[in-house]
Amino acid sequence: MLRFSCLVFSRGAARRFASSFSSETALPPNLRLPSNLVDPDRLKRPPPPEDSSLPLIRKCDAALPAHLSPVRTWVDTLESKDSEPLGLTELHPDVFAVTPRLDILHAVETWQRNYKRISHANTKVRSEVRGGGRKPWKQKGSGRARHGSIRSCPPLKLNCGVSHGPRGPNSYYYMLPMKVRVQGLKVALSSKMAQQYLHVVDSLNIPTPDSQYLLELIRNRHWGESVLLVDVSQEFSENILQATANLKTVNLIPAIGLNVHSMLKHEAIILTLDTVRFLEEKLLWHDERYTFLYPFKLPYSDFP
Amino acid sequence: LSMSLGLLTLRALRGAPGLCRRTPAATGGLRAASSAAPRDKRAVITESTEEYKFVERLIPPTRIPDPPKHVGAAPSGWTPPAESPPPLPYMIRRSRMHNIPVYSDLTHGNRRMTLVRKVEGDIWALEKDVKEYLRQVTGKELPTQVNEVTMTLKVKGHFEQELKDWLASKGF
Repeated sequence: MLRFSCLVFSRGAARRFASSFSSETALPPNLRLPSNLVDPDRLKRPPPPEDSSLPLIRKCDAALPAHLSPVRTWVDTLESKDSEPLGLTELHPDVFAVTPRLDILHAVETWQRNYKRISHANTKVRSEVRGGGRKPWKQKGSGRARHGSIRSCPPLKLNCGVSHGPRGPNSYYYMLPMKVRVQGLKVALSSKMAQQYLHVVDSLNIPTPDSQYLLELIRNRHWGESVLLVDVSQEFSENILQATANLKTVNLIPAIGLNVHSMLKHEAIILTLDTVRFLEEKLLWHDERYTFLYPFKLPYSDFP
Repeated sequence: LSMSLGLLTLRALRGAPGLCRRTPAATGGLRAASSAAPRDKRAVITESTEEYKFVERLIPPTRIPDPPKHVGAAPSGWTPPAESPPPLPYMIRRSRMHNIPVYSDLTHGNRRMTLVRKVEGDIWALEKDVKEYLRQVTGKELPTQVNEVTMTLKVKGHFEQELKDWLASKGF
């Protein structure tokens, strides 16, 4: 029996061990991937080359570190469905090209889900269950186990109290350090940039309030299934509001509402040039700030 | 005027001088303004925001300023980073207070470690150079730990000052 099982299990050994000697990117042969996992059309447009003829619309405002160069991307328009990029823009590497720290992303995402959580699960303890104040039978002489109340444990009555159950509204509130949350935003933006899911647009003005127009634009440009449109101001134009109102996968948020969960939920992120400037200013400030003397809500002389 | 003088004498008689010490002219002026129509010009209350600049200059800034330019080293021994980054496969950034990010750690009362943070680029080349340098300094092979996720390097033993001087001499 042992010899038979050894023979059976070592049959595919050569094939299995071959993968460990081959290159690191070799996928296992029995792995089945869905065909629409990576859209090859999205990766057809490479990042802009060094000697591109299009104008550089925006340069980084903040000082760049000497050993890093800015990230360059195309600037598109939403005016027409199939239009060429308007120009190029430079993005700060300390916001859009940081090390992809997946552990920070995970931490920030779980924090976002759990810090608002209040679980209302509640069970009654034996003192809170109705009844059960009287000793059911005398301590000695009845031949049964000794008990003080019918609500203490299951063999007595099924509606007993739970000793160690969930106790009342329970809060799971905790705060991650501010710098960790900021780094999470930077890592999310950098990851989207690296996977070519981040696009920059001059503004969110569209010619028609038609949802189909937006959907066809997104499909033409191979942006992805779900799109998050981010603008600086909290007032949006009527056209874009109406177009995205009935769409489930295309959403609008102001730049102050940008968060890691939304960025991970939507495939493509569309930022305007003003949003890029706003994000760079706010996120880079955390790299060169003092720790607070009093909360940042109170006035400081150069708060961004 | 006679009314205000009468009030003042009453106050003195009551004998609570320490509690509300106001100038006689002010009390007289306010009383006159509230009771009757303002007859005197000096009772008008004016607002001015010109003195607010004295408050504004007390509010602290949030950003850490750039250090002043010294010729050579500062009196404390601090040196600025080199103008252009050194041509090495790795880069070590300065901390937000413009210092070299090398820290010593002591845990369990006897476990000494030195931590190099904020490394970018090829961290294994840095580890090799650090091991080589510390072998010249101490004469023994020190265990090191490279964390590729956080891009930090830990060395066994307290070598904070040596590593800081070495990195400053390299131009980081």
